[in-house]
Amino acid sequence: MTPHELVLGILIGSGVVGELLCCAGLVLMRNVYARLHYAMAASSLPPFLVAVAVIVEEGWTQPGINALVVAVTLFLVSPVAAHATARAARSRRR
Amino acid sequence: MNVWLWGATGLLVGFVPCGWISLRASRIDALVALQTAGTVTALTLVLLSEGFDRSSYMGVALALPFLGFVGTLLIARFMGGHR
Repeated sequence: MTPHELVLGILIGSGVVGELLCCAGLVLMRNVYARLHYAMAASSLPPFLVAVAVIVEEGWTQPGINALVVAVTLFLVSPVAAHATARAARSRRR
Repeated sequence: MNVWLWGATGLLVGFVPCGWISLRASRIDALVALQTAGTVTALTLVLLSEGFDRSSYMGVALALPFLGFVGTLLIARFMGGHR
């Protein structure tokens, strides 16, 4: 295994394990607000790890930049969606 | 099988908890699970795009966060307004 493959394996493995832990957190938590924390964690670090893996493989070419755009988009829009979901949950509880 | 396809296969396991929450918990919890499933789908498509060397998959991964965002806002608005 070359160092390049090792770095790719670590980055992709960390991203996948992080994402799976967040999915497991959805089941383990008891209410919607606690579950939202895990949903937002799923869209913060793991997408960037996968994007960095693509950039390591492809460099600053179109696939690498596209993967980075996907990660940045998830990072930016997910908190807004979480806020809207939390507001809906709060108004349903009243 | 390369490391990208192994990663994509591993990410598919993440749909199981999301589906479980969607089926068993309340509707607002199902919306949270839907958001997480959208994130998992986008990352899976990125990994599949690299694994199969198909750039068209990346186009879907690029569009999915935007469409999921709009869908989540609409459903949250609907759920908040109708008790």
